[in-house]
Amino acid sequence: MQVTLEQVTHTYQEGSPFQAVAIRDVSLTIREGEFLALIGHTGCGKSTLAQHINGLLKPTSGRVLLDGQDIHQKGFDKREVRRKVGLVFQYPEHQLFEETVAKDVGFGPKNLGLSDAEIKERVAEALRKVGLDEPGFTEKSPFELSGGQMRRVAMAGVLAMRPQILVLDEPAAGLDPQSREDMLQLISGLHQQGSTVVMISHSMDDVARFATRAVVMEHGTIAMEGTPQEIFRQAERLEQMGLDVPSVCKLGMKLREMGLNCPEDIFREEQALPALLALWKEGKCHGA
Amino acid sequence: MALNNITLGQYYPADSVVHRMDPRVKILLLVAIIVAVFLAGNLLAFAPIILFLVIVTKLSKVPVRMMVKGLKPLRLILILTFILNLFFLQGETVLLDLGFAQIKRESLILAVHYSLRLILLVLFSSLLTLTTPPITLTDGLERLLSPLRVIHFPAHEMAMMMSIALRFIPTLMEEADKIMKAQTARGADFESGNLIARAKAMVPLLVPLFVSAFRRAGDLAMAMEARCYHGGEGRTRLRVLKCERRDYIACAVVALLIAAVVLTGKLY
Repeated sequence: MQVTLEQVTHTYQEGSPFQAVAIRDVSLTIREGEFLALIGHTGCGKSTLAQHINGLLKPTSGRVLLDGQDIHQKGFDKREVRRKVGLVFQYPEHQLFEETVAKDVGFGPKNLGLSDAEIKERVAEALRKVGLDEPGFTEKSPFELSGGQMRRVAMAGVLAMRPQILVLDEPAAGLDPQSREDMLQLISGLHQQGSTVVMISHSMDDVARFATRAVVMEHGTIAMEGTPQEIFRQAERLEQMGLDVPSVCKLGMKLREMGLNCPEDIFREEQALPALLALWKEGKCHGA
Repeated sequence: MALNNITLGQYYPADSVVHRMDPRVKILLLVAIIVAVFLAGNLLAFAPIILFLVIVTKLSKVPVRMMVKGLKPLRLILILTFILNLFFLQGETVLLDLGFAQIKRESLILAVHYSLRLILLVLFSSLLTLTTPPITLTDGLERLLSPLRVIHFPAHEMAMMMSIALRFIPTLMEEADKIMKAQTARGADFESGNLIARAKAMVPLLVPLFVSAFRRAGDLAMAMEARCYHGGEGRTRLRVLKCERRDYIACAVVALLIAAVVLTGKLY
């Protein structure tokens, strides 16, 4: 299953004095099984792009295709898209509303018209996935949970729809370091179990760690696209755009500035150690 | 942002002499003009008022389209007023006999008169809100109402409440839009079904919206207290309202307008 955006342009409040083009002429295919990272400045159109993937926003011009079918054509059931593409908004805990965790997580499946037994099964499954399956948890009020737990419950609410593509808008924003790590591990786990993941992120370290492909957006268009390796090799260009690079890249750049022979294409933590060891050995040789 | 087409405090940003006027003067002049509209004893007396409206609209640089938009929600009332007055008022000279009802000259004149009065009231009021930012408007209201403090009317608190409410309308609107989208993404349906189904569908929208409104209110109260807010007593302001030459000129023009209305009413 794949989603393709074909020359999608979206203008907010078209025709009013406040009209603003959020994305312009964006073409992008989300391939099955990939972990795609969307990177860019605040206001570059990432969130607008994300909302096109499941048909929440209709392109002003251009098409969004789900397995080759235009999702905005007449007669196409939008619920189909919503079921297949799960969208987790920024601060999803702000959308909790039910009396109990079970009811809130079950909201999506209920809207799909499933039976009570099936809903219960899906709720249990979704809560297990997000690591909140201790007994009695389902009967708690979502408003008495901690921030990290609330976020995971909200995410379970999307997972209970069993989406094949999961779109996440800054899932780790505003969490403490432990909850943040838990959340990232959770997403990475879902990807390894076969979900296609699209993640908007400001943390280049996270992108370097998890993404299989990255798209950099600037002023509503795609500025760069490729594997994290291809993207982070152009660290200068990212910095020109006012974006960050992974800490390992920064370290590499510093070392090269000092005249050391550090390779250019390291950007992950686990790549740093061998590279540094090699440098250290080299240094010892020179020293000797 | 789908909800953004609901205009409230529909300010139209522009740089004009009307925009720059003191909000207090604008509010008071609006009251004076409303009085003038009611003083107009016959159709001819509306002429100077309409002329004044045209000139002020021109000066304000507000597009006519925006002005007319203000009439749209009232079109039903307007049509009803016109029709009811047209058919049910007493008169002598029959203009048109439809068989089941008659249109008389006197009732036609009165129907036009009442409708015109209503239209003018709405247009002048929207001119005020179109040319004055909501916060400036509440500022002006606060100053105008402050003499009422003598009878313990909380003018400052009222104005502060209005400012905060106006300030948070766009924020809450954005929030509502976001929550609506998030629930739609989970398969919620806000558009179809009967009245009860639709009211029920609002729960997933309203509960989070209220929760966030309360959270915002708590944060805001804390932030205000942290900056030593303790009511209006002894508070100075960043923008001090000052009457200038244009405000005095406007007052004089409106005074002349009222005189003209009264005179044409008398002469005719």
